Amino acid sequence: MCRQLFLAAVAAICTIAGAACGSNTTSNATTAGASRSGIPRGGELLVSVRSEPRSFNRHAARDTTTSLVSNLTQSRLVRVNQATQAVEPLLAESWTTEDQGRQLTLSLRRDVVFSDGHPFTADDVLFAFESVYDEKTGSVLADSLQEGGKKLQVSATDPHTVVVTFPAAFAPGIRLLDSLPILPRHKLEGALKAGTFRKAWSLDTPPSEIVGLGPFLLIEYQPGQRLVFTRNPKYFAKAPDGGALPYLDRVVAEIIPDQSAELLRLESGQLDMMTSEISPEAYAPLKRAADEGRVKLLDLGVSRNADAFWFNLKPGAFGEDPRAGWLQRDELRRAISMAVDRKLFADTVFFGAGVPVYGPETPANKIWYWPGLPQTPHDAAAAKQLLASIGLSDRNGDGMLEDAQNRPARFTLLTQKGRPNLERGAAVIRDELKKIGLTVDVAALDAGAVIDQLLHAKYEALYFNADKSDLDPGTNPDFWFSFGSAHMWNLEEKAPVTDWEKKIDELMARQIATLDEAERKTIYNDVQKIFYEHQPIVYFVAPRIYVAHSSRVVNLTPSEYRPQLFWRPETVAVVH
Amino acid sequence: MIRYFARRLAFALVLVIGVSSATLMLTRLAPGDFITESLGTGASQQTIAQQRARYGLDKSIGAQYRDWIAGAARLDLGYSMQYGRPVRDLIPERAANTAILAITALLFATLIGLPLGVITGSRRGGAMAGAIRAASLVLLSMPPLLTSLFLVFLAARTGWLPISGMRSATVPAGGALIDLLRHLVVPAAAIALPLAAMLERLQAQAMSEVIRAPFVLATLARGVPQSRVLWRGALKAALRPVAGVYGLVIGSLLSGSFAVEVITAWPGLGSLMLQALRTRDIYLVAGCAGAGALFLACGTLVSDVALAAVDPRVSDLRTERA
Repeated sequence: MCRQLFLAAVAAICTIAGAACGSNTTSNATTAGASRSGIPRGGELLVSVRSEPRSFNRHAARDTTTSLVSNLTQSRLVRVNQATQAVEPLLAESWTTEDQGRQLTLSLRRDVVFSDGHPFTADDVLFAFESVYDEKTGSVLADSLQEGGKKLQVSATDPHTVVVTFPAAFAPGIRLLDSLPILPRHKLEGALKAGTFRKAWSLDTPPSEIVGLGPFLLIEYQPGQRLVFTRNPKYFAKAPDGGALPYLDRVVAEIIPDQSAELLRLESGQLDMMTSEISPEAYAPLKRAADEGRVKLLDLGVSRNADAFWFNLKPGAFGEDPRAGWLQRDELRRAISMAVDRKLFADTVFFGAGVPVYGPETPANKIWYWPGLPQTPHDAAAAKQLLASIGLSDRNGDGMLEDAQNRPARFTLLTQKGRPNLERGAAVIRDELKKIGLTVDVAALDAGAVIDQLLHAKYEALYFNADKSDLDPGTNPDFWFSFGSAHMWNLEEKAPVTDWEKKIDELMARQIATLDEAERKTIYNDVQKIFYEHQPIVYFVAPRIYVAHSSRVVNLTPSEYRPQLFWRPETVAVVH
Repeated sequence: MIRYFARRLAFALVLVIGVSSATLMLTRLAPGDFITESLGTGASQQTIAQQRARYGLDKSIGAQYRDWIAGAARLDLGYSMQYGRPVRDLIPERAANTAILAITALLFATLIGLPLGVITGSRRGGAMAGAIRAASLVLLSMPPLLTSLFLVFLAARTGWLPISGMRSATVPAGGALIDLLRHLVVPAAAIALPLAAMLERLQAQAMSEVIRAPFVLATLARGVPQSRVLWRGALKAALRPVAGVYGLVIGSLLSGSFAVEVITAWPGLGSLMLQALRTRDIYLVAGCAGAGALFLACGTLVSDVALAAVDPRVSDLRTERA
């Protein structure tokens, strides 16, 4: 027995030693020092991500980690400043708008080179558009770089000038370019021509082959463990004092699937920052850690997105179901909005860290949020009256509502499993609606299954996230237009089903066409008013966003949008 | 004997094919798929249809299974949708990490659990035996999830050990092996402690029966020292129940411990399968399940061999049956 145990021990140690010998050592080269502005240079930043990247090619995947890799290693023509909402130059140093908003002429920076030293020209910009629109590629970015379902036309007048023509006048057009990484034609053109572009730069590509214009270079990927980046010495952008960017020498993105482990690492100094906000339940322990000086906790204000409640408004979705008569009525949604106590909702779902919302924009959207939008009062009696107006009343005295044929007023609310905010929110909605006599059966499924039910219109009501990627409403046509693929309550309508949707279509068409910002704002206020009157989506509460980082991280530009502290990675620095 | 092993091999093959096929079908039948999960809300129906066709998700379940099983016969387990890599390549690298964790945990558990079981099984009373029994019961009632959370918390508070991961980004002084061993402590202990408690309880029960057996009493009566009787003759005789579960334990450990691997960010088979399930990466799910079944089949074989080693009667019986 002892001999067997000894042999087992030897085998285990050999296995471990073999695995250990496979690990790579990394360079500790640094550019340590401080910039003239006093911002420290050099050092390593340890960030965490929840999952592995799905590709190193942004066209192949849209998950958070792939986006982070793209943001670190690639650059775009312009960037939407997540803190101010303004568009700032990156590879395009300036631009002009012509032909009443139909045409953008962009002047590219000169003397910019890729990380392998190859010069960047307008040809690379054309290549970026070719790859996004290539049918064989099937880029995940293709939908976001269209206007009204049509592609943008792009041409180069010289090596440093690009002209982008929109199918129609499009006021927020420049903002679309924020989503397009500029990839090197000299490295990837072969793959595009061969129809294998989507498979290029997959996870088994050696990091040394990945070339970019971003502030960092990927130097190591350890599956299931981490991604390691080093500074790109050829990065084009300069600090305000004229010094080189990025400030950091290295970024290590640790793959930590569990938020508890992520927080413990942060608290114990084994992590500098997370790339997402902290959950409401993690606030209290982190507040203690912040009070003890172990971490810095930032309140970034209200989220730009609130979880959303909506009914299936597709005509005929309920077939012969007698409930169809009341499930799709405006009065039902307005009654629900009145029945739910938003204060209670914020206290229960977000532990008090949330603000009531009544429309599609939250106060985080400083430009497009309309404070003049009416605020639905919490009024259970008025809600019951509204329900009575559509034939729902307590006919048998059991405290619960029935329709005219004495059938119970009951529906199923679908939500996502494993998202505590959504599960708690659905439970609050169920309990609040019970108080006015509506019976709600909550069903939680995983995200893919919920989206599948949504796509096939096989649901009664949904409580889910309907996030908008950009704050300018013009860049969310899929949500607003009745033909949109994110028109949640009735996806991709052939023609507007209701008069109010037709009106919104008309207003939004005007809103995106005009270049007068004041007029755009007035029109969008009208859209929000119509939306509020019919409430195709009922919003209750937007959470406050909290993030935490170690005290050695400096020069941050926080935004409430992910990655809150790392959307401008080249300016982040660490004291070391 | 050869026929016996051939039969076991055939059983393992049927088990692997059965488990991976059932997993593939069930994952495919559930509503939603990799495309809906990865594109989220807002993608157009046209884009979704294009992407489904790209991954073969537009085919019927039967056609998809037929293609997969034909590939599997050639050891081609398909491509992982999320990683864009062959499943055949992904599984061995993660299984090796799980094996490192599992073997270390098993070693810890055996080295702790068996001797303690001998002590508690051979002593009716005493503070030490009582304390070991109480500790075992506490550990047995704690699932590895809780144990790992507790150990991670402890490591975070003390700062003595890394909380998660398998290796440091920069190899520290002391070398890669020391770095790996430091990373192993928390996850291996999280798995090993409840396992050691189980082995201790099994061993103690068996030991308490064996020390009352006539051959032990006769040996003691001949004047052989008690410690020698306990740690040689009685221990071997009492190992049978432990050997019986050993293989199953090995099989289940090698299949990957979901909770421990996720909490301690150990890049093993368990965390890979969990991620594959979350993203509905059906070929990867089927591959991970098949690997788990293979480990289980190997584990039961190891269990049988171990049982035969400690109990010749089992070996004789199997030879007769074969």
